[in-house]
Amino acid sequence: MSAAESSGTSLPAGFEPLETYVPYWCLDTNDARRAARSQAEMPEIQAFYDAIVARAEDAIAHVEQFELGQMPAEAERLFKLLLAMNHAAIAVEMHGAPRAIDSNWPSAVRISRGPWPHGGTL
Amino acid sequence: MSAVLDEKTAAPRFKAPEHSFTLAANLGTGPVSVEPYRSPAYFELERERVFRRAWLYAGRVEALPETHSYFIKDLDVCKASVLVTRGKGERIRAFHNVCSHRGNLVVNQACGKAERFVCKYHNWSYSSDGSLMGIPDQKHFFDVDKKTCGLTPIACEVWEGFIFINLQPTPEVSLAEFLGPFGTKYAGIPYFNLDETIVIEADFQANWKLICDAFAEPYHVPSLHPGTLAPGFAHPEDNKYARPLSAMAHGIHRHFSAYGNPQYVPAPESKVERMVYIQDTGGVLGGDAQGNAAALWSHPAINPTKDPNWSADVTWIFPNFNIDYSTGGFWTHEFWPVAYNRTKWTQRIYIPKTASVRHRLQLEHYACRWAEVVLEDVTNCERIQRGLESGAKDVMHLQDAEMLIRHNLHVLDNWVKADRVADALK
Repeated sequence: MSAAESSGTSLPAGFEPLETYVPYWCLDTNDARRAARSQAEMPEIQAFYDAIVARAEDAIAHVEQFELGQMPAEAERLFKLLLAMNHAAIAVEMHGAPRAIDSNWPSAVRISRGPWPHGGTL
Repeated sequence: MSAVLDEKTAAPRFKAPEHSFTLAANLGTGPVSVEPYRSPAYFELERERVFRRAWLYAGRVEALPETHSYFIKDLDVCKASVLVTRGKGERIRAFHNVCSHRGNLVVNQACGKAERFVCKYHNWSYSSDGSLMGIPDQKHFFDVDKKTCGLTPIACEVWEGFIFINLQPTPEVSLAEFLGPFGTKYAGIPYFNLDETIVIEADFQANWKLICDAFAEPYHVPSLHPGTLAPGFAHPEDNKYARPLSAMAHGIHRHFSAYGNPQYVPAPESKVERMVYIQDTGGVLGGDAQGNAAALWSHPAINPTKDPNWSADVTWIFPNFNIDYSTGGFWTHEFWPVAYNRTKWTQRIYIPKTASVRHRLQLEHYACRWAEVVLEDVTNCERIQRGLESGAKDVMHLQDAEMLIRHNLHVLDNWVKADRVADALK
């Protein structure tokens, strides 16, 4: 059991307030993160956005200690939250809505590959 | 709109070209019929006279990295499964992926490496040059001539690393003749970041030309893409309607150069976009941050008027393939018809390998912004299809910035009517 897990969080020490977002936003592929944002309600997206943006520079500094693709599990989870932050930003900064105006879900569109690590493939 | 103008940037003000792109291309100016977008009969003509006679893009040479590499290209519109191989001598060939014994599909993996292809039905085997190697229990066949029972070849030629195929048993024109002036003008462009891609796909209910059209004109950018694209590709004063810098026909092919707002920077409240934004590669199109794109920009075919307000060139190789060049690299679109009202679209964005955490975050933002643009266009195309199929309108009105659409319909009509491909190329 790692130090982070023994302290009751799956994220590195110091990022405990972000723990509540891990179950929904910590995902393996670009398309899965896009799907999460597209199906969420705006208040949920805004709350995640506000929380992760406030700690983004600290989180980047933390994960930059490690090689891409070779991070400890706690750092990797934090990195995936940072990746999901970009998707939340599409909703908050561009549309003011979870996805493109007048679009439907499920969507005919998918990101089937990359970029790596934690991108996607067919 | 989330953009703000950076007053510190002293960029030259955009001045729209005064001449008409449409008139310069010798095209008419009247309304055009919408029948090609909604007629099943017209679609059958396209299938037989365009897609079964034109050179069609199949893939890049990098998809065949070694001797005996192969990939399968499914062409729904021609009801064909095409096997593309790199055989001995590095030669790239294409075949119908169909066994000579009973007509089954031979290869069922999308790509790979194999010295021989074995049909799983009765284990007939073929080499990567298409020749029939073995027939199990051959002695009980009746005078079968193995030399005539190879995989059926498909004409295959390569231009600038792009593999094209032609389903005519003997193509009436070569790939060079088909590409015409486009092939010579766009030769010698440097391609880079070829081993890493973002792939975005969509399978949707609309005619294939509607999505071609979506990428053929920037007039819709401010209205349909207000958050995702408009801030970078229009200007509230200098270029409110994203007027293109140039638009030209190159034989049966065509291009337009898109305006880019040189003063664009993300608004202060767009905290994430500011975090990942790269000014020196054109921001929203910034796939490459390593200086590779500079050689691309200097090519005479790219941004041919060398306008400093340039963001990207859309090139549309007839009938259904785009190679687009930008300040940050390039990407391709394949718009594949499935039915008169159904299309499969694949976009491949060539990107550098992830270099750092911040670079990875930028690429994530880049990919999800692109997917959102695609979603806006796909959703819109499905709405247009419904509108056109209602029968409410028989014609559409195209403005000068939509010249490429008019040119495509003109070329398409020539191909549908012409009995010989040489006539269709005139």
